[in-house]
Amino acid sequence: MKTKYIGLGILAAVVVAAVAYVGIRQSRQVTEIQGYVGGEKIGFLEDTEVRDILRERYHLSIDYAKAGSIEMVTGDTEGQDFLFPSNQTALEWYEQAHGSPVKSEIIFNTPIVLYTRSAVADALVQAQIASEQDGVYYVDMQKLTEAIESGKTWADIGLPQLYGSVTVGTTDPVKSNSGNMFAGLLADTLCGGVADEGNIGAVLPRLQAIFQKLGYMESSSADLFDQFLKTGMGAKPLIAGYESQLLEFAVENPDTWQQISDDIVMLYPTPTVWSSHVYLALDEAGTAGIDALLDEEVQRLAWEKHGFRTGLYDTPSDAEHFGVSGVADTLTQVAPMPDANTMEKILEALG
Amino acid sequence: MKRFKRMAALFLAVWMVLTLFAGCGGDTQADTVLGSGRDVLRILSGSENAELEPILETFADKEGVRIEMTYQGSIDIMHALGEEEIPYDAVWPASSLWLQVGDTEHRIQHAESISITPVVFGIRKSLAESLGFVGKEVSVRDLLQAIESGGLRFCMTSATQSNSGASAYIGFLYALLGNPEVITAEDLQNEDLKTQMKALLSGVDRSSGSSEWLMDLFLEGGYDAMVNYECLMIEANRELEARGEEPLYVVYPYDGLSLADSPLGYVDNGDDGKEALFLKLQEYLLSADTQNEIQRTGRRSGYTGISDENRDVFREDWGLQPDRVLSPIKMPAADVLFECLNLYQTELKKPSLTVYCLDYSGSMSGEGNRQLVDAMGQILIQENAKKNFLQASEREVNVLIPFNGGVIATMTAEGNGSELENLYAEVEAQPVGGGTDMYTAAVAGLEILKGYDLSQYTPAIILLTDGQSSGSLYDFEAAYDEMGAEIPVFSIMFGDADESQLEELAQYTNARVFDGRENLTEAFRTVKGYT
Repeated sequence: MKTKYIGLGILAAVVVAAVAYVGIRQSRQVTEIQGYVGGEKIGFLEDTEVRDILRERYHLSIDYAKAGSIEMVTGDTEGQDFLFPSNQTALEWYEQAHGSPVKSEIIFNTPIVLYTRSAVADALVQAQIASEQDGVYYVDMQKLTEAIESGKTWADIGLPQLYGSVTVGTTDPVKSNSGNMFAGLLADTLCGGVADEGNIGAVLPRLQAIFQKLGYMESSSADLFDQFLKTGMGAKPLIAGYESQLLEFAVENPDTWQQISDDIVMLYPTPTVWSSHVYLALDEAGTAGIDALLDEEVQRLAWEKHGFRTGLYDTPSDAEHFGVSGVADTLTQVAPMPDANTMEKILEALG
Repeated sequence: MKRFKRMAALFLAVWMVLTLFAGCGGDTQADTVLGSGRDVLRILSGSENAELEPILETFADKEGVRIEMTYQGSIDIMHALGEEEIPYDAVWPASSLWLQVGDTEHRIQHAESISITPVVFGIRKSLAESLGFVGKEVSVRDLLQAIESGGLRFCMTSATQSNSGASAYIGFLYALLGNPEVITAEDLQNEDLKTQMKALLSGVDRSSGSSEWLMDLFLEGGYDAMVNYECLMIEANRELEARGEEPLYVVYPYDGLSLADSPLGYVDNGDDGKEALFLKLQEYLLSADTQNEIQRTGRRSGYTGISDENRDVFREDWGLQPDRVLSPIKMPAADVLFECLNLYQTELKKPSLTVYCLDYSGSMSGEGNRQLVDAMGQILIQENAKKNFLQASEREVNVLIPFNGGVIATMTAEGNGSELENLYAEVEAQPVGGGTDMYTAAVAGLEILKGYDLSQYTPAIILLTDGQSSGSLYDFEAAYDEMGAEIPVFSIMFGDADESQLEELAQYTNARVFDGRENLTEAFRTVKGYT
């Protein structure tokens, strides 16, 4: 008799516990937020470790569509909880078009770098356009711009196997962020400081001439980088991209990286510009993404697996795990991007 | 949000059922089906990938998938990406350029280069030797001089349909402009340039709408040289060597080289299952083993160049340079590129001289005739033609021969003005009735061609018929042999046409039969690439 009651008691307890558990679970249901994201962050947002932390710790799931940094902030944002462009100018543009977002925060940064092959890097050093310090390659933007503008050919700097003149392959600055930021950096260089609305007019024709030389431009940074790696030195001798691209590639494709690491060289422009991945929360639901993405663990993964420099890892003393040589610890020579109005003038000229 | 998703899922389901039924009627038909599984991947691909079919078949068999390959020129693929509906799961053009320019709605995802191959000149080895192209660096200018002096004639694909033709043409433009940094819109106004380019393109023996077929044509035809992909030169040489014939010597023009990067991209029509299947295929193609197999077909795959074990594929006695740094020219910006292509189509290419023999027999009445009129409208009405770079040039000649049991009439239009568009009114007004004798119509076509200096044109007869033909192939062969000129007789199969009759004609004249039963307009568009 007694055992029967005990049995019933246990059953009741189990039922209560189950109901309570379901109740708690429901109250903690995962919220899905939706937004537009620059393509270079897709690897990070698809990372299962990142997604697990967001779901378990923040009950958050991020659904996204890929979009260019410019089109996402100037276009229709109906139904989006957040935008995650790749530069701060985008925030300024958003504010001009839509007013202040509910909240915004820089999640991580990565500098604009140039990628090349060792033979080209050596030739650039020989020509005193680039230099090497403590295993890190730097390229002098002033001298590089001079070489491009004067129409120096690759043969002129000792690379007769390459056809044509010295250029930096970029994505279309009107469509893609890395090309856009490199255009900003070139504008700064041509202005001998920071380009602004006052001085930009005088250098626009020169900037146009530099970009016109490129002919057809890719519209995605990821595609340009993929082509750089696959088509070899002849097709893309020197391209502009993000530091994070190579670091992420090395982590994701360790075997391939081992085969090609001797030949691939990352060069830091002096000065360079930061691509700041700023998160714009457009509604209350969207703000939850900021806390989640700034989670210490998530930030660690962003650096260790995807190569984005974060607040905690801004001066990475632990770049060894990438197996990529020549990662700069700190970047002292950084120029600010031209402001939103100036960039608008630049894009108008290049469009 | 949730509700929206459910609604979207419902719409999707309804839409899928509808398209399923629609599929029973007039879906596009694949050129090749690999494997026999229930899950299907429909791939719209450049024809150069036909050579990778065994590799795709291995995947299809292993995974229980059916892969349906439809082959088109890369520029045609670009046009397909602009359509409201893309009835494929994946696209695989020769170059990412066409993919990016065509994908204005951002419907292509996960695009990755599968392999690289340059566009090169392949010249009969003894001729290459006598022209002095063996063992030295050759410029486009060197090739142009050989062409201008009459020492070199060549075949290339249509620059407005196929990537290899477009790449070669852009390379020619650079050379004729004196190798500027990049081609600009102003450069194209240059009259000297136009004159020189016309002369150059007059050296084109035969043209085709796609690269693989150009190779086939070359192997059948006894020509001297072709512009095509390095990998197809290797394939052609394997065949030539097997036959005991002279191989082609590959020339890489250092100032006019282009690379085809063969991107395979997913068409996002909203089916997650397909996406997973696609990614599986892509992963397979990019795996180390498959990349090695792909390299053995003469494509440059992987990140580290041609491996030691595959060097026997890139034979140096055929002129191949496995270690060459492939340094291509820059493609012009998209708007300039399109201007280049329009210029090619309307002014520069060797003018076509096309005789259309159109079936107006009784069996064509109703739907058949309506489709014929529609299809001709796509070619004769220039506003329509322009959308597909098929507009007529100022110098071209179009002849219409409506036929039934005999020739009904003969109408000729010169140039691209009102004469041409008036032909459309004739096409529309012509009544149907009577029997079918395509041979008599084709012989009448030959008679008309006799009246022209054929060296100044790309001549062709395009025959559209829907039934068993009376008349005699021998009569045609006798007239053809007597004429002694090489005129391809293409046919578009329609209704209950007898494929064997059409194949006989195509074989005899080194041409090709197109299937117009699924999509007549598409068939006309394709055949135009060969004229």
